[in-house]
Amino acid sequence: MRRIERAFVILNGTAVIAGLALMAVVVGWNVAARYLWAGALPWADEVARYTMIWLTFLGSGLALREGAHVAIANAQEALPGPAQRGLRWLILLILFFFFAFMVWVGIDYMNRMAIQKSAALRLPMKWVYAAMPTGFALMILHLALVAPRYLRAGFQATEQATDEALRG
Amino acid sequence: MVEILIAAFLILMLIGVPVAFALALAAFAAVGLGGHYPLVVVVKEMFTGLDSFPLLAVPFFILAAEIMSTGAISAMLLRFASQFVGHLRGGLGYANVLTSTLFAGISGSALADAAGPGAMMVRMMEKGGYDRAYAGALTIATSVVGPIIPPSITMIIYALQDRNVSVGSLFMAGILPGLLISLVMAGVNWWISRKRGYRSAEARPHLRQMVRNTVAALPALALVVLIVGGIRGGVFTPTEASVIAVGYAIVVSAVIYRGFTLRDLWGAFWRAGIMSVAVLMILAAARAFAWVLIIEGVPQAMADAVIAMNLSPIAFLLMVNLLLLVFGMFMDPLPGVMILVPILAPIAHSLGIAADHFAIVVIVNLTFGLMTPPVGGLIFVVASATRQRPSELIRELPPFFVAAIAALLILTFVPALSTWLPGISGFAR
Repeated sequence: MRRIERAFVILNGTAVIAGLALMAVVVGWNVAARYLWAGALPWADEVARYTMIWLTFLGSGLALREGAHVAIANAQEALPGPAQRGLRWLILLILFFFFAFMVWVGIDYMNRMAIQKSAALRLPMKWVYAAMPTGFALMILHLALVAPRYLRAGFQATEQATDEALRG
Repeated sequence: MVEILIAAFLILMLIGVPVAFALALAAFAAVGLGGHYPLVVVVKEMFTGLDSFPLLAVPFFILAAEIMSTGAISAMLLRFASQFVGHLRGGLGYANVLTSTLFAGISGSALADAAGPGAMMVRMMEKGGYDRAYAGALTIATSVVGPIIPPSITMIIYALQDRNVSVGSLFMAGILPGLLISLVMAGVNWWISRKRGYRSAEARPHLRQMVRNTVAALPALALVVLIVGGIRGGVFTPTEASVIAVGYAIVVSAVIYRGFTLRDLWGAFWRAGIMSVAVLMILAAARAFAWVLIIEGVPQAMADAVIAMNLSPIAFLLMVNLLLLVFGMFMDPLPGVMILVPILAPIAHSLGIAADHFAIVVIVNLTFGLMTPPVGGLIFVVASATRQRPSELIRELPPFFVAAIAALLILTFVPALSTWLPGISGFAR
């Protein structure tokens, strides 16, 4: 189980890194192209923007795990043990509900925009908007994996768990 | 709709739901219960917020700063800085201030400043006989200049919200205010070092060594000149500048300073990826949140109310300062800019306040919010990087709060600090 989780985290991280690298290469290529060989790629702008959209949703579960999404933990920490656990349960439920809702509304939006195509690539925008339901489905997975640790000690603990998982 | 929006957001945020999701949930609640629009408008606004070419500069500047702080550059900047101030009383404290100021010319985010050279500075200062909590608090205070001195992620987002400024003019406008902030924080270090008897670190090095340190620091220091100069000269746009910064950071770290491995590069990409994702997600959600405010006519109503009060520009600025200080305690600078600038900037404009001046007041104020509890990103970064409790750091922070407020008042009353450089460099309109 731990090995599967580790592979999942690394795979997810690799996708984020690949997206970031693709964005940098495409935009960088275009700057260089303009000055060095005068032929900028007309679709570079679109590729970079759509990659950024995918990156945001794909990486969000990982960011959640590493405690990178800022949250105010003061109320939780001030509460006595059982109430604290209760509040964390409530937050977990809210998050699971929200993520599931985002998957649903994201698919809805995707279908509504099914005929739209991008200006330069003629790419069906469906494939751009698919990032949202995909990303939030991944977030459900990540949250489920770290939920026990979150209940025990909040998002700081899930960050440590991720670091440990990466070290193997 | 607005009541639902604000109430839902406050409740969700205060119980501990991550701010990005609290913003989005509040927007959905307001639209859903308001009943005038379908829920998918919130999704549409989130995508619109992300689908922006200028926004690409955000992940790129984060990446460049991560690469630069992974390599030997932090250590080298520190050596460069401490040769000038190390022999003074409280010398390592000044070195901390100066290193942060120099690193701000590489990074566009306060958190990168604190996590990179900041954590290293705290270790050095502790070895030099300083209290660890004081060293940490000083690092928090000096990291604030990261997004004030160019490049700056906050300024890129600000320029997307207010048509009266450009990224180039804001970059120029931030230089003097950034130096002012460093100066007042150095003032606190002078006072505390005298009071507690912190000593000097080392004798001033020989001239030859100083020249060698300076030459070694030049490639890193050149980045800010390259960025600001390139944008000013029209050689590249701010977004292109950010990707050039990434390339430059890789080349400088790997070829000139050495010791930068593929493993380091992987780590820098990983951390930059996660950090960018968190920033972009909160921006997407803040965009939807701001959309509800705008569609409900909040900016217009606020503007009418403020104009009916017949305030002088200075009175308005002081009021904004107060509002932002409170707001900044709970909200990060980026969503703060996204939500408040569309409301406040038009009012400032109609009162005849220079756009660059107003932008600096807003940005500096919200950035100071990073060092105030309960939601102070810098406090948490430094606490976890130096293994101490946030409460220990907070106890050492009050003198820095006083200094921060002094800096804010100076920036409010002296617009020239923000408008002079954009003016003479030909950015101002």
